[in-house]
Amino acid sequence: MTRISRCRVALLAVGLIVAFGSLSARAPAALDMNVGVGKVVANQPVSACNNSAKAALNSVLQDAVELGGDTGEWLAFGAPDSANGSTTAAAVHCYPLGGSYLVTFTCAAQVPPSPDSAAALCTKITAAFDSGAR
Amino acid sequence: MNVKRGLWLFAIAIFLGSQSQTAAVASVDLSTGIRYVSDSGTLSDCSAKAKAALETYLPGASESSPGSGEWSAMGQNVATGAASSGAAVRCYPLPKGYLVTFICAVQLPANPYPAHALCLNIAHKFYGGAITPLAAMPTATPVPTGCATTNLVGSWVSDNDPKLSFNMQLNGDLTDNEGVSGNWIIDGETVTLTYYGNHTLKLSPDGKHLSGPGYNLTRKC
Repeated sequence: MTRISRCRVALLAVGLIVAFGSLSARAPAALDMNVGVGKVVANQPVSACNNSAKAALNSVLQDAVELGGDTGEWLAFGAPDSANGSTTAAAVHCYPLGGSYLVTFTCAAQVPPSPDSAAALCTKITAAFDSGAR
Repeated sequence: MNVKRGLWLFAIAIFLGSQSQTAAVASVDLSTGIRYVSDSGTLSDCSAKAKAALETYLPGASESSPGSGEWSAMGQNVATGAASSGAAVRCYPLPKGYLVTFICAVQLPANPYPAHALCLNIAHKFYGGAITPLAAMPTATPVPTGCATTNLVGSWVSDNDPKLSFNMQLNGDLTDNEGVSGNWIIDGETVTLTYYGNHTLKLSPDGKHLSGPGYNLTRKC
């Protein structure tokens, strides 16, 4: 074997070690779930909650949808990663209480690869909701 | 040496390694939309039922703060050692009765069933309804114990040098008492030890002794 060939083989081996070695060091992906804030907003119609819920979810995740028709139950997922899977998701529930409404936030994340924990995700969505809600 | 060609080889190796990671990427599945309004009962009633319903499927349900009525629990995939399922049941008092919502999340494909299946069962456990058996969670492969004749897992001591011992692991690795590593393979009664070279040994019918040129070992079992 020539010296050049040996060098090439060595480089290939080092590359494989770097690539596969990083696999064993990686922590297993775990599901993280957070029961976020639940609060009553007085003197506001549930439609205001729905508007804020959709806007908040879309500002942090994407494609927020209301389940069924006029249920007040909103759901959104994060952008799919390279394997076409979403590693973050959140739900915002709006429930009418007379002239007020109850809103709850629940989040889930797969960590890693999600850089945000479920709690951090819920904090972002709640802040976005509050900035759009009265 | 042609540096460019060498770097290409390095890049190809990195690429090959990275491709093997794609199969491990998973996604989060979230189920929401199940809610139930009871026109009787208190927040405490709801909480008691929420805890019981959650713990039917997930261990250790806890309330986010005492008296909040917000319950959650997580389930672990023992095979991966990480949480792969979770559920939240939130109770809220109404002037008459209470409102309860059910939200579930699972990590696919690590979890053997989808979030909706979990949530439907928890909700039905709470307020009544058909319960559908969920696929069993994978369990960890138990580490073999004793003097098995199908593997070498366990501790071995050299008959010639009692200071020399080996720990043989399930994955075929071995480590001696000084931390030097090697490998083992068994085919029938023939054992190949890769430890400062390859050594072919024979396993005794009782699984307790390995013998061959250079090494005679006895298993502690």
